[in-house]
Amino acid sequence: MSKSKKKTEHSWTGPALELRNLSLRFDGHSALDNLTLTVDPGLSVAVVGPNGAGKSTLFNVLAGILSPGSGEVRIHGHLPAQHLCLAYVAQSSHVDWTFPVSVEEVVMMGRVGLLGLFRQPTRKDWDFVRESLSRVHLEDLGRRQISELSGGQKQRMFIARALAQEADPILLDEPLAGLDIPSQDQILNILDDLKRRGITVLFATHDLELASRFDRILLLNRRLIAFGDRDEVLTTNNLTEAYGGTMQVIETPEGRIMIGDSGGHHGHEPVGRHG
Amino acid sequence: MDMNPWGAMVDWLLEPLAFEFMQRGLLIAVVVGIICALVGCYIVLRGMAFLGDALAHAILPGLAVGYLVSAGDRGTLFWWALGTAVVTSVGIGALSRGVRIKQDTAIGIVFAGMFALGIALISTVRNYAVDLTHFLFGNVLGVTRADLWLTAGVGVAVLVIIFFFYKEFLVLSFDPTLVTTLRLPARTLEVLLSILMAVAIVVSLQTVGVALVVALLVTPAAAASLVTKNLRSMMFLASVIAAGSGVIGLYASYYLNVASGAAIVLTCTFFFILIWFGKSVMRKVKGLPVNN
Repeated sequence: MSKSKKKTEHSWTGPALELRNLSLRFDGHSALDNLTLTVDPGLSVAVVGPNGAGKSTLFNVLAGILSPGSGEVRIHGHLPAQHLCLAYVAQSSHVDWTFPVSVEEVVMMGRVGLLGLFRQPTRKDWDFVRESLSRVHLEDLGRRQISELSGGQKQRMFIARALAQEADPILLDEPLAGLDIPSQDQILNILDDLKRRGITVLFATHDLELASRFDRILLLNRRLIAFGDRDEVLTTNNLTEAYGGTMQVIETPEGRIMIGDSGGHHGHEPVGRHG
Repeated sequence: MDMNPWGAMVDWLLEPLAFEFMQRGLLIAVVVGIICALVGCYIVLRGMAFLGDALAHAILPGLAVGYLVSAGDRGTLFWWALGTAVVTSVGIGALSRGVRIKQDTAIGIVFAGMFALGIALISTVRNYAVDLTHFLFGNVLGVTRADLWLTAGVGVAVLVIIFFFYKEFLVLSFDPTLVTTLRLPARTLEVLLSILMAVAIVVSLQTVGVALVVALLVTPAAAASLVTKNLRSMMFLASVIAAGSGVIGLYASYYLNVASGAAIVLTCTFFFILIWFGKSVMRKVKGLPVNN
């Protein structure tokens, strides 16, 4: 654990994440409706649900970017605003990739909060940055300008930044979107590594098959439809409830196939298979 | 007269330096150029050029009031201008946060209103045309020793602030989301950066004036951004371009008898075009797309 004074002490025995009756409204519409759940430390949780289900909204509340309309959020027992230890890897389209920074400088940004005002990064901080980069297999690309990275490398850079931040939990919003299969596999391997290190991960995705690799699945459609392991969550009833008319469940000899309109922009596509 | 071409060149360079107003003008052009280039890097990276221009115009009423109460004393003018700039930059932020007005609309409202107020105030003075011209386009040859010391002091302060808040400003400029998750004091950093911008604008009044200051803020930083890969080298190159443009612009002004502020800004523009063109040619040679 970091010795920095700014880092609030954790109650590592308690839950990593606790939501109590969390609700949020935008312009009179309910974005999140009465969420209550507890995530134990070290678990990996897939957050799934149709478009507009509130996955990104939930992450923004946890990150402290949006304040909850009502209800409570606790991260390791503390309010979001008291915490340095949560990292949020948002969908990366908002970043200006021509910005004049190198990969290792972006990763060092993760340590800015830990360093505190008026303190410059020390040799130890740079060692930490290099170690974080090697955890995501980017150790050779640290000096590159960020626009020189591929899509998968960019996502891995942000995961390295979360590691440099010594973050727990780490929130990842659709980190595989738009990546080719090898890049997706690399990121999934990194997630396995995070799991071995006992880091709590929340992972928003459209992909139900992918979701079933995680310890827990949170099925969301503004309200919490189900939260538990895959056998509890990926049931016909729950999925129909979450996806409504856009979801069809077909029983086949190979198992149960769920067909859903997950993205609006894709039309109908298989979103997963379970059985 | 020395017929040796080097001697002629040296004479050519030294001749303006015989005048004290040229010495002071050159020094202040270099210092102001460096301040504007450093602050300008953040303005370029955060896409705030319009805000910078608006801020420059909005300080005119502050200058006018300072002018009316002090009978033209430079020191008083400086503090009035700085005060107005800080109030305006914080005001634009508050206006766009409080009510449902887009930031560029808020800027437009504040910018034009304040500028009109400034012109109205200055026009109550009899020989206002001359003074207004100095405010709008600068008067680098009227720099006093006290102006020079004040500007140098401000320059050191800006350097110190950028040094101490370098990593926070970097995060703020690159990824505002991270500012929130790292629990950095976002609002305070924003205000501090606005104050730096206000300071840069106010110290540039004498060299380029209200109307052209945005060029000094944006052009050297934009030129440097074309050929640098990290913020430190961008800041360094932008400073070199801005300071060099100050010197070259003043020599051009002396020998060609053109307005000094315009000459400085045109030199910056020339460097920008040169670098942009050079980069385009390099890209063509390497067969890469011109943009990005």
